[in-house]
Amino acid sequence: MNNRVVITGLGWVTPMGHSLEQVWKRLLAGESGIANTTLFDASTFPTRFSAQVKDYDLSQHIADLSRHPGIGRNTTFALGACAQAWKMAGLPALSGNPDAQTSSDNSLDLDRVGIYLGSGEGSLDFGAFTHAALTAWAPGSTSIDAVQWAKTAFERMSMRREIEQEINMPLSHLALLTGAQGPALNCLTACAASTQAIGEATEILRRGDADVMIGGGAHSMIHPFGVTGFNRLTALSTHNENPPEASRPFDANRDGFVLGEGAGVVILETLDHAQKRGAKILAEVVGYGSTADAFRITDQHPEGEGAIVAMTEALRDAGLTPDDVNYINAHGTGTKENDGNETLAIKKVFGDKAHKVPISSIKSMMGHLIAAAGAVELITCVLAIRDQMLPPTMNLHTSDPECDLDYVPNKARSARIDVALSNSFGFGGQNDTLVIKRFTA
Amino acid sequence: MRRVVITGIGVVSPLGIGTAAFWNNLLAGQVALQRIDLFDPSGFSCQIGGQVPAYKINEHVPKSYRKATNRMARDIELAVIAADDAFKNANLQSNAYSQTPAFDGKRFGCNIGAGLISAELNELTATLAVARNGDELDLKKWGTDGMGQLTPLWLLKYLPNMLACHVTIIHQLKGPSNTITCSDASSHLAIGEAFRTIQRGDADLAICGGAESRLNPMGLMRYHLLKRLTTTHNETPAQALRPFDADASGGAIGEGGGLFILEEYEHAMARKAPIHAELIGFAATQDAYSVTEPDPSGKNYARAIQKALSDAKLSAADIGCIVPHGLGVPEFDQAELNGLRLALGNHLEKVPFAPIKAQTGNLIAGSGADAAAAALTVSTGKVPPAVNTQQVIDGQRLNVASQSRALDVPVAISSVYSLGGQNAALVFKRV
Repeated sequence: MNNRVVITGLGWVTPMGHSLEQVWKRLLAGESGIANTTLFDASTFPTRFSAQVKDYDLSQHIADLSRHPGIGRNTTFALGACAQAWKMAGLPALSGNPDAQTSSDNSLDLDRVGIYLGSGEGSLDFGAFTHAALTAWAPGSTSIDAVQWAKTAFERMSMRREIEQEINMPLSHLALLTGAQGPALNCLTACAASTQAIGEATEILRRGDADVMIGGGAHSMIHPFGVTGFNRLTALSTHNENPPEASRPFDANRDGFVLGEGAGVVILETLDHAQKRGAKILAEVVGYGSTADAFRITDQHPEGEGAIVAMTEALRDAGLTPDDVNYINAHGTGTKENDGNETLAIKKVFGDKAHKVPISSIKSMMGHLIAAAGAVELITCVLAIRDQMLPPTMNLHTSDPECDLDYVPNKARSARIDVALSNSFGFGGQNDTLVIKRFTA
Repeated sequence: MRRVVITGIGVVSPLGIGTAAFWNNLLAGQVALQRIDLFDPSGFSCQIGGQVPAYKINEHVPKSYRKATNRMARDIELAVIAADDAFKNANLQSNAYSQTPAFDGKRFGCNIGAGLISAELNELTATLAVARNGDELDLKKWGTDGMGQLTPLWLLKYLPNMLACHVTIIHQLKGPSNTITCSDASSHLAIGEAFRTIQRGDADLAICGGAESRLNPMGLMRYHLLKRLTTTHNETPAQALRPFDADASGGAIGEGGGLFILEEYEHAMARKAPIHAELIGFAATQDAYSVTEPDPSGKNYARAIQKALSDAKLSAADIGCIVPHGLGVPEFDQAELNGLRLALGNHLEKVPFAPIKAQTGNLIAGSGADAAAAALTVSTGKVPPAVNTQQVIDGQRLNVASQSRALDVPVAISSVYSLGGQNAALVFKRV
């Protein structure tokens, strides 16, 4: 018999703030974290705005940062979100030193604490990278002079700055922070990554390979190449005249997603472990489904085939039916393609019930946190169940015949919510769905 | 618990394209490390690496997919070629080869480990130059004139999950799909997770492992900054990488990948599939020591091996071969030996020991090739040589030989640790 898995801690660092309750209040109030990009000069880019994390000070969350020199922006987000979640879960105070922790406090077996993140790569050292490239290139040439490139790169690049771009660095720093020495993995499945990480972390707990898993993700692609990449794909909104209204999931005038950044971390535990230590249980993770479209690297399956199976599998895994679902936290990116396909897939899975289940996309307010999006959205689902409140889909003013469901437009509302389903879909056809439930013994 | 067997092995390595070339050349003691010629390495202190021999990607994808190959970074190409080799090795008809595939795609998972893929400088530099201001980039000009020069799908060439995505599209695999990105441990963790997916019934088959190519200026630069490479063997690459040897002076980068096709046992039996070995144990642990160096005590590396053995319900005495991580970086090898001693006790000096990176370099996220070597020791009863391990560090005795050996290998282990402190071990058993 598999272990039941519950959530006992939540933490996030988002474009709308860095405290759990403050961000939740702002989401329910329909505020926006989207504004002009200031992290670099985007003034001539097709998209000049984004959802940046603002006024963030990691030392507010972690007093001793001496073990984390030169960390990347994504890792600062991961550490802050993890420290919040760990504290909320009432786990032993963080010393950052596993040996010291073990000698002073034996209440947690760190060999049985694992980490599964869906974090993205760190931001490129753009100045050094472009400088090295340009000094090594002669006009008219079709290739760089690698010898000159190396000379410049050795002058300008530093070990920390380069290594902190490795995709597993947020994961490795969370191990240093918490002393966790159980199974540790990072998956990077584009925009589905942190939903997948939490799903796979749940599987590790179910099968008994750990007692506690730190799950979630962190990412920032708000840098020149990140925005360039998405602009070239024409995936981003170019609604430069009014950034807070740029992210318009399910609206007929939607024109792309808004790039955000941040982190979300949840503490997952076996029910047994949580109960034995008297932890406050926030919700139970009951279902997880993961599929591949195997269709195209650029486009989703037009009939939502992979998304349908991910949702169906997650519900089957949960032992629930569509009738049991009270809220769907949509992937809802605000691209033409996603929102139509996701709506279609929901209709296929939910049938007649599709028009009755409220659906919303918080990306309308905090943008798309890419690899970190799923974790932040799952935290929203936990809070929705706790407070019986549905966060709205903002900027939904013009109805699209393809998107004709109840998206909780423009205003939060109260509702009976026992079961919430959260979707994340990624480039390349990655589909992941989680189902969580109000905890009842 | 459902049993999981390996029915296909696909390897692309510096020793050749395909599992047969890899295994034959490994057993023959061939060292593939050479002076890098993918670009001029003269500006680097370490100028050697393990390059995959020249290949034509179009020969490894269906005709209908050839257009998509221009969206593949080299890492992706290596994964696609390894997958092609694995399917052929498994004698398994996918949509790439037949209109009537031999399996239900919805029950076929994919978990391919990947690294941080570097943007190709040659492609980027000419574009950057449009927006140059002296030797620096002018972002305003980049926005107006520069970025538009890039191909629209530029970003998709470098997303780590594109290894898995191209493979799932080519072979029409629609089950659980994942991409593990934990540096050197990526392949082993991906294989272990795919193993669990089949064990718990979420899939009947999975292709899993990893691939990576860091033999580009950016990748080589990062490993120089980490000081993990030997700089004293540019003229003698065959002796350069010396795992666990007293004269070791550092590692070398290789490129390539290794992929398994894992299959639920009854499913494999029903289709009379070739079975290389049973995957019988997996475990993962994490150091909490440093993000750039392994814990010198090796304690969490040891725990990964011990837990994998316990998962397999076996003990150290049962092991017939170990393929260690063996980077050839002296202090890292010492830490690994400490871990192996903790995990295996007195058995350490008895177990046939095959540190194969001396011949291939470190394939990093492509270390699925190491796992493939371990599985092949079980299926073939042959153990690769330890070509450069002569005087073992720390006065330790190890069961190594300068030439390959024919031995009875009922059980083999492949274990790795990553930059970042992830540890993983896999246990293979003869069926």
